[in-house]
Amino acid sequence: MTFYENEIKRIKNICFSNDKQLQTVIAIRNFIDSNFDKELNLNFLSHVHFTSKYHLLRLFKRYYGLTPKQYLINKRIEKSKEYLKQGMSVSEVCYCVGFETPSSFSTLFKNKIGLSPTAFQKEQFSQSGPQ
Amino acid sequence: MKVTLTSIPVRDQEKALKFYTEKLGFILKKDAPLEGGNRWLTLVSPEWQDGPELLLEPAPNHFEPCKVFQDALMEVGIPWTQFDVESVDAEYERLLKLGVEFSVKPTVMGTAKFAVFNDTCGNNIQIVEML
Repeated sequence: MTFYENEIKRIKNICFSNDKQLQTVIAIRNFIDSNFDKELNLNFLSHVHFTSKYHLLRLFKRYYGLTPKQYLINKRIEKSKEYLKQGMSVSEVCYCVGFETPSSFSTLFKNKIGLSPTAFQKEQFSQSGPQ
Repeated sequence: MKVTLTSIPVRDQEKALKFYTEKLGFILKKDAPLEGGNRWLTLVSPEWQDGPELLLEPAPNHFEPCKVFQDALMEVGIPWTQFDVESVDAEYERLLKLGVEFSVKPTVMGTAKFAVFNDTCGNNIQIVEML
């Protein structure tokens, strides 16, 4: 066994020995991945997974390094990039990925990507169009 | 500031280009001649062609400490860097069939699954899937 494998084993025993917690957070992530387009919040997630919302928040942040809400937003933004590239309109994309209003979607998108959804879509089309 | 480039030290740029494109599936983005037969050689992921570029850098041939560091990491099995994949198991099977040698078989650690292979250019490379 290499030094790296020994280190991995050592760290795994210290940081990832609680299987029950791991199963819970992995299930929550999978749930978000399959339901990102629906209205999700901590109350709902904790209810589905029979755990307190503060415990869930702490666990998720501990194992994934970000809160469930941050994870959900990243997931929605990634999906919206995909849909925009496919040619869907900004408002269609907004509702398809679970945002409530096009204006909040556009603000968040610009904040994360550095371009408005419309500008991002234009840029994609100009890159893939005839040179 | 933007992160647009990361580099991997390689002993033989042509051999690395073949391994990283033909076996791993990256796409050549830039190939510009430099002095002494060296090249500015960058690759991108096929599914993220406007994403960060991977520079195949011949540093170990020109700067001894880089060679020493690369050899030391190789010897103890520590990966130089890691790439995200959809499925570590699927990639493991695909690369095994192409003759790629793994020092760590698919292993679960917390909320991630990973495996480590030899890039034949002096580095261990890790592939990772988030669970």
